[in-house]
Amino acid sequence: MFEIRRLSAKITIQVVLALLAIPYLIPLVQMVVGSLRGTGFGNYEAVWNTGVVPRFFLNSAIVAAGTIAIVYAVTMTAAFGFAKLRIFGKEVYFWLLLAALTLPEVVLLTPLFVTANTLGMYDTLLAVILPLAALQAPFTILLARNFYDGVPTELMEAGRVDGAGVVKVFWHIILPLTRPIAAAIIVLTLLNAWNSYLLPLVMLQSADHQVVTLLPQFFVGEFANDQTKVLASAVIIAIPEVVAYICLQKYFERGLSAGALK
Amino acid sequence: MAIRTGSRRARGRNQAPGLPWILPAMALVVGLIYYAIGDTFYISTLDWNGVSPFAEEVGAGNFAKMFADPVFWQSLTHTAVFFVCTFALQTLIGFTFAAILHTEVKLRTVHKVIVFLPTVLAPATMAPTFRLLFSDAGMLNDILRGIGLDKLAHPWLADPNTALPTIMLITVWQWTGMTFILYYASMSQIDSDILEAARLDGAGNFRVLSAIVWPSCRGTTTVMAILGFIGALKTFDVPWLVTVGGPNHATEFLGTYIYRQGIRNSHVGYAAAISLALLVLAVAGAILMTLNNRRQAK
Repeated sequence: MFEIRRLSAKITIQVVLALLAIPYLIPLVQMVVGSLRGTGFGNYEAVWNTGVVPRFFLNSAIVAAGTIAIVYAVTMTAAFGFAKLRIFGKEVYFWLLLAALTLPEVVLLTPLFVTANTLGMYDTLLAVILPLAALQAPFTILLARNFYDGVPTELMEAGRVDGAGVVKVFWHIILPLTRPIAAAIIVLTLLNAWNSYLLPLVMLQSADHQVVTLLPQFFVGEFANDQTKVLASAVIIAIPEVVAYICLQKYFERGLSAGALK
Repeated sequence: MAIRTGSRRARGRNQAPGLPWILPAMALVVGLIYYAIGDTFYISTLDWNGVSPFAEEVGAGNFAKMFADPVFWQSLTHTAVFFVCTFALQTLIGFTFAAILHTEVKLRTVHKVIVFLPTVLAPATMAPTFRLLFSDAGMLNDILRGIGLDKLAHPWLADPNTALPTIMLITVWQWTGMTFILYYASMSQIDSDILEAARLDGAGNFRVLSAIVWPSCRGTTTVMAILGFIGALKTFDVPWLVTVGGPNHATEFLGTYIYRQGIRNSHVGYAAAISLALLVLAVAGAILMTLNNRRQAK
């Protein structure tokens, strides 16, 4: 956006860019430096030797996979129904979903907590997966419906003339076309599920059922507030996310900004 | 029998019924969210600890208590200040960053990754780092002392005057990447002929930026304002994990206050009343968002 010819201006803009970016690195540097204080890599060893880290990761993976599976299934079918099929009072249903679009999860906390207790679902991963999926679905359905609206209806009719039922048309013609939006939905849901903190905090109690976002707090208790080991655990949690983002930059950026871009 | 099935199938072909397709999604969202909201309405009329079989009906008592509660108003004020400040700062940095990266500069990808990376990291993961970074012995104070600003060095999160600004800085750190990516994408769509014509007319860099680029990105700015508003209402993770809403409610938000009252203090009825206040604001945000989507679609 800037037109620059002189060398001095080129250097200036490069310096401004670096000055803007460096503060964004400071917390990450602090995290790594802090985690190496005292016993250095011994901190990482101590964290790993507690043996709970893989368990936390596995639970997070289960929560993420479960949420993605539910969100993907209900989003793809519902968006297809909303965009391409006839439903009496369609827009009423759609508004019901949209009204839940911006709902802060904390609003649901009290009733969900009480209900989970009553149904005996407290301290199970399902008590986290279901609300996460329900909170995510309205947004992904809005995204997917906008996408489906752009898919030509003639494609479906061509399939129908060939004698395929709606299910076959959906499965063989529509679904393969939706890969770009599906990728965005999966990345978005993955991040939100993996990074969720409040629902696991309220719903999960025992160490066997906790997820990675609860790990630093777990170690605050475990190591009597030894900051270095808490930070080492934070680095261990952050590494997979950093690697995943750097490998899949395009998908992460698209997935996260998909809602705002048309 | 065979004929009846056949005719039904024929009708289905012309006018496929869509209700079964949206049913799973409706069951999930209505069953969970609407049920929970309905329950919240009921609970908000009770004086209850959430587990006891005895709950006292207090009618609108919780709401009267809420409107008279200074901490509730404090939380609302914090949310408003938080929204205005983080939105302004993020827009300024994100826009500048996008404009610079649309220029011929070196190491574009590296800079992009640095600014976007915080967006994918969980606040819960970063919270211990921030508690250290802004503490008395943290890196921020080291840097300030290093450049001779000893006077500014102090425990940022323990001081009620600087705790909220620090929480805002953390949020800006986390979400500028998003603002940047959206402005970057929106700038890519500006017709380069217009920019060239402006330059031929003698417009300088800043004139081009303020008269052409900024107005072209208006749609993005609106979207970011709405997302920022909703985000401010949802704020929980950062203030709860970094300062626990303190010191002395200095970083209390609606989310942290609901959690404190409902889960910590077992005042479930009161928490439900505050939840409903938050719900009203969030629905207003949803309406804004949908209206904006409609307008853009036209």
